[in-house]
Amino acid sequence: MDKLLRNKKAIIIFLTPALLLFTVVLFVPICQSIYYSFCEYKGLTAPEFIGLENYKNLFKDKSMVFALKNSLFFLIFSCVSQLVMGLFLAALLTNIKKGRNLFKNIIYLPCVLSSTALGLLWMFIFSPKLGINQALEKFGMEGPLWLMDTSGFIILPMWVIAFVALWQYVGQSMMLYMAQISGISTSLYEASYIDGCNRAKSFIHITLPLIKPMVATAMSLNAIGSLKFFDLIFNMTEGGPNHRTEVLATHLYTQGFKYNKYGYASAIGVVLIVLCLLVTGLINKFMKTENYEM
Amino acid sequence: MGDKTKSTIVKTMIYVFLILVAVIYIAPLLWVLMVSFKTNAEIFSSPFSLPESFYLENYTFAWTAGKLGIATLNSFIVCGVTLVLSMLIGSMAAFAIGRLRFKLAKPCMTFFLLGMMIPVHCVMIPLFTRFAKMGLSNSLTGIIIPYLTFSLPVTIFIMTGFFQSMPNELIESACIDGASIYGIFFKIALPLARTGLFVTGLMTFVANWNELLLAMVFISDDAKKTLPVSLSKFVGPYNTNYSQMFAAIIIAIIPTVIVYCIFSNQIVDGLTAGAVKG
Repeated sequence: MDKLLRNKKAIIIFLTPALLLFTVVLFVPICQSIYYSFCEYKGLTAPEFIGLENYKNLFKDKSMVFALKNSLFFLIFSCVSQLVMGLFLAALLTNIKKGRNLFKNIIYLPCVLSSTALGLLWMFIFSPKLGINQALEKFGMEGPLWLMDTSGFIILPMWVIAFVALWQYVGQSMMLYMAQISGISTSLYEASYIDGCNRAKSFIHITLPLIKPMVATAMSLNAIGSLKFFDLIFNMTEGGPNHRTEVLATHLYTQGFKYNKYGYASAIGVVLIVLCLLVTGLINKFMKTENYEM
Repeated sequence: MGDKTKSTIVKTMIYVFLILVAVIYIAPLLWVLMVSFKTNAEIFSSPFSLPESFYLENYTFAWTAGKLGIATLNSFIVCGVTLVLSMLIGSMAAFAIGRLRFKLAKPCMTFFLLGMMIPVHCVMIPLFTRFAKMGLSNSLTGIIIPYLTFSLPVTIFIMTGFFQSMPNELIESACIDGASIYGIFFKIALPLARTGLFVTGLMTFVANWNELLLAMVFISDDAKKTLPVSLSKFVGPYNTNYSQMFAAIIIAIIPTVIVYCIFSNQIVDGLTAGAVKG
């Protein structure tokens, strides 16, 4: 049997397709992307090495500043809001029996739906003269320009989109926390009730510490998801008005594929990759704890 | 106030809150369904009332002129091919890492796992220029290849777990019966890991069915666009016909909603299991 499992030919046959795809479609392009980020490259002529010029331009580019600010806002907002709302919903749902599955499935539904479709839907609901504002008008109120207002440090459209993203994806965090909470043995809770804990106290002292490993998982997923964030923004505002709702992904798309600035867009891509690695590294360093016996 | 009444009050409050949440989730979708039967003028004059008559032209327009029919077919082809190939190639690699014995198993796994942290945006430019030279841009194959590659890390990760947790005896007895390593893989290991295949297949399908960015960049020919790309073309700054857009939204999400309603428990649990392990 050992001989069978050490069969070199079989190992090579099993691994080659995946390794080949990974090298050709992922590894080589990333190296190329890093190289392009130091080049002047517009697609028509061969890339020409220009050193750090693209990176210097990143800091001079106003839309890049907006994009970076908005992406970081998304990152922080989605990590915090998904943690709080996801945990809250999970706690509520684990406390009821009737209809638990129904509510769970309803809240999870947008996670599997196309964010393009949902983006268009919310774009309409928050449009200047239709949707919510039509309803507000009936009550004699004038609604704000949900997706166009540009005042304030974090402008209104960013809050709107951030809440839509929370609406769409909170189901995933909720399910992750529910899975972890239902794995906690009831004897722990019984013991805590005997010791005089009420539900709130046992939630703080038993549930919270025991789901900490899952918080790390869910947060990493949220973090990478929010840095990659593209569909909703592209369909709700296309980065406008005046590049104020641009995020890294939309900025990369516009620069790379609307203006064909491949070199410059690659530099944005490198910033994105560095952020992804940095954030997941940080979350895992500070959140990962030893797994308790449950 | 006794403990019992207190707990009933708390329960009622929980239910009231959850029903509110459910309304926030369902109402927009139901409302889209309703206005998709209205004419554009009706949307402006009376957006919240029931449609006066069922105006089905929105749907025929979206299906034919909006090219959603062909887009749905394209999406099915792309997702189907990606699904089958990623399950096959992914579980082959996972079987090698999880079961076969060789020194480089761990480095291989790390290499594959790195793929999970890399957003597709970052490799799009080199891939796009390379594919254009190879004549792969503007073809379904050109998006199947990257979709497949980006589905592999999760597939390999989850399937490796399944193969590793399989009891040794099964493989041993197959060995004694004289099965080859390929026979063991296809006839014993794969059927035993079908839960894993279901979970990874589901994740792959949902992710690729909804993917917009890469498909938008790689495909410009209307006849080859996938569903999300054709859908996003329904808004233009000056000529948005909302009622047609709503019909298009319904066409795009209705298959998913139907499948979801039938298998919701399996889907939600499957995707969660995948996320926990991934």
